[in-house]
Amino acid sequence: MTSQTTIPATSGAFAEGMHLPKTVKVENLNHFFGQGELRKQALYTNNLEVRRGEIVIMTGPSGSGKTTLLTLIGSLRSVQEGSLRVLGNELCGADRDLIVQLRREMGFIFQAHNLFESLTAYQNVNMAAELVGLDPMITEGRIKSLLTRLGLADRIHYKPNSLSGGQKQRVAIARGLVHKPKLILADEPTAALDEKSGREVVTLFQELARDEGCTIIMVTHDNRILDVADRIVNMVDGRIKSDVAVQETSVICEFLKGFPLFSDLSPTTLAEIADQMMVHEAVAGDEVIRQGDAGDLFYLIRSGSVDVLIDDGQQRKKVAELKQGQYFGEAALITDEPRNATVVAKEKSVFYALDKEEFQAVLATSATFEEELRQALFNRQ
Amino acid sequence: MFSRRTPLAWKNLTHDWRKLAAATAGIAFAVLLMFTQVGFQNALFDSQVKVIDDLQGDIFLVSRAKYTLAAEKRFSISRVHQARSCMGVSGAYPVYSELTTSVLREMTQGKGNRGYPIRSLGFFLDDPIFKSPEIQRQVNRLRAPGTALFDRKSKAKRFDFPKKDDLSLARQALELSGKKVSLVGTFSLGTDFAHDGNLIMSSENFAKFFPHRKRFGDPLSIVDIGIVHLRDGFEIGEVKNMLTKTLEKDVHILTREEFRAVEIKFWDKSTPIGTIFLAGKLIGFIVGMVICYQVIFSDIADHMPEFATLKAMGYPTRYFIRLIIVEALLLSLVGFVPGAIASRVLYGWLSGQTGLLMSMTVSGVAFVYASTVVMCVASGMLAVRKLLAADPATLF
Repeated sequence: MTSQTTIPATSGAFAEGMHLPKTVKVENLNHFFGQGELRKQALYTNNLEVRRGEIVIMTGPSGSGKTTLLTLIGSLRSVQEGSLRVLGNELCGADRDLIVQLRREMGFIFQAHNLFESLTAYQNVNMAAELVGLDPMITEGRIKSLLTRLGLADRIHYKPNSLSGGQKQRVAIARGLVHKPKLILADEPTAALDEKSGREVVTLFQELARDEGCTIIMVTHDNRILDVADRIVNMVDGRIKSDVAVQETSVICEFLKGFPLFSDLSPTTLAEIADQMMVHEAVAGDEVIRQGDAGDLFYLIRSGSVDVLIDDGQQRKKVAELKQGQYFGEAALITDEPRNATVVAKEKSVFYALDKEEFQAVLATSATFEEELRQALFNRQ
Repeated sequence: MFSRRTPLAWKNLTHDWRKLAAATAGIAFAVLLMFTQVGFQNALFDSQVKVIDDLQGDIFLVSRAKYTLAAEKRFSISRVHQARSCMGVSGAYPVYSELTTSVLREMTQGKGNRGYPIRSLGFFLDDPIFKSPEIQRQVNRLRAPGTALFDRKSKAKRFDFPKKDDLSLARQALELSGKKVSLVGTFSLGTDFAHDGNLIMSSENFAKFFPHRKRFGDPLSIVDIGIVHLRDGFEIGEVKNMLTKTLEKDVHILTREEFRAVEIKFWDKSTPIGTIFLAGKLIGFIVGMVICYQVIFSDIADHMPEFATLKAMGYPTRYFIRLIIVEALLLSLVGFVPGAIASRVLYGWLSGQTGLLMSMTVSGVAFVYASTVVMCVASGMLAVRKLLAADPATLF
């Protein structure tokens, strides 16, 4: 048998880059505000992994705890319950020196610019650079190129009160990036920016993530920049409601599209199906499904390969070999009959499985889907 | 590396010139208050010892019982004679002083007012006692009987005589200790807490005016101050030791500095004067501290999100403490310079008004600056608690 996990398929846990170190690892994290009678839970057993170089966008209504989670990750609040590892350091019970050290490896971009009125744009940015002890000569070039990149070339030596709101925000972004942080935490970084400079900022984020392995976690409601996200985390009422690896979801959707039944489905429906799939693992020789059993799952091969064997009463005969991106187990679900073949893993494989109920629920909730199904079944004749 | 650091304290302080001007004015005012107190105190102490400053000589002999110049404790003239015979001494001279019985009365038409005590100083006219060339010039006028020189700076309320013109001064009908005295000239010494005015006369006249100084015998046989002149080439410490060994223990042997110090110490410690001025200085200090606290605190309060951002970046606590100390030191300097300049001007004006000698001494400037630094740094440390409470978690 395969080993079923509780990991959703869309979490990206088995996608490419799964071996990369985890910049942030949140385990069973609880957080409370207030004391005694007024104590109120803000986060409920949150789990999250963010790997190196990932760009994570956190969404959710206000009061959902995303900001609390962000401040916890940023070591700006102390961890109360659970485990939180950031850049390899456990933050639960960490001492002040470690926290101060850790903060220097992070870049913070706040919703308010928080620039010193008395310092020029250059000096404000330099406050972050000199703290980590960068070579002053290199720093100078870096600050200038960053500010130029952000469209502030002619404003380098201006003080904040002669800059517009968007310009101030861009200075604050430069300050958050200048010391090459390994982790950037940003709160609505593009809210004050116009389309063009907002795009420039996220492009910069992408470059940092790609070229320097910088991990970026941002809270945003700006849907113009959703496209840069590697992962979208949605929080509601202190819980992570969904944690979706965008790339992986699109891979799954592509795979699903290859299934004739699903080929005409809209991306939204496909993403919903992908959301319901769970990860199953198998090693070589494992029987994933056995002929004659009741059909309960629909499988998609994420990695590895399987043999399909049919037992005709006398001997087992291999009828097919399936590889990554292919699927099996659909017939029993559609016809509601026992499995008509046995599937054995040829090697260590990962499957994304969709539950029979979920499979049928998708059918039921989607009128078009049923339409398509009828069509498909009709075409089979 | 350190020199390349962004001078945040300086930038924050000087960013808003209006705020800086207000802060500077406040601290300068506190500095001025302290300088005024220090100036008055020094001026008063200086006037207490003005007579010592005006005397010639290197070593002074006073009775062991004399705790202040105004205390009429005397010693035998034989100490002066003994001192004269000591090695390294070129001369030793007595100075006589009388206050309580030295009452100067103004006589008009045969009737006198009740008169006021004035300090009379007597000396042998050939002895080198006074530094003032003015006195030296008039020594011969004092050879006549019943004559004295009058201190122009004597309290005018009590001794209101014409000072411009020696002739009309000499015409004043006056009695000193019940005997007719004529003022044959003027000199300048000044008043102090104990003395409202001064007269200088020959020892012969002094003996005639105050014969009761000594119950029996020569009134000049008891001396108020003995003045010792060093012979060239002798060390003052060496001669002082010699005198200590030679003379009986009923006299103090003091150098000029020691003599001054003993007198100032008496007024500072044994009278309320020191306390009064201490209170004055303290008030200046507290005013400065309140102003300085306000300036630093409001600077911190105005920049809480920025400081919280620095904390989020990983600036450690000691950075903020150093920042505020630097800011406090800058404030102290920025406030002190104009405060000191204003005080200098005020000193000049007060000197003109009161006749007190108001001068900016190195020790006075050092004292006020040290107080200013302490005041600014202490209030900075009180205000820094606010900064350390800045919470970066509130920024998101």
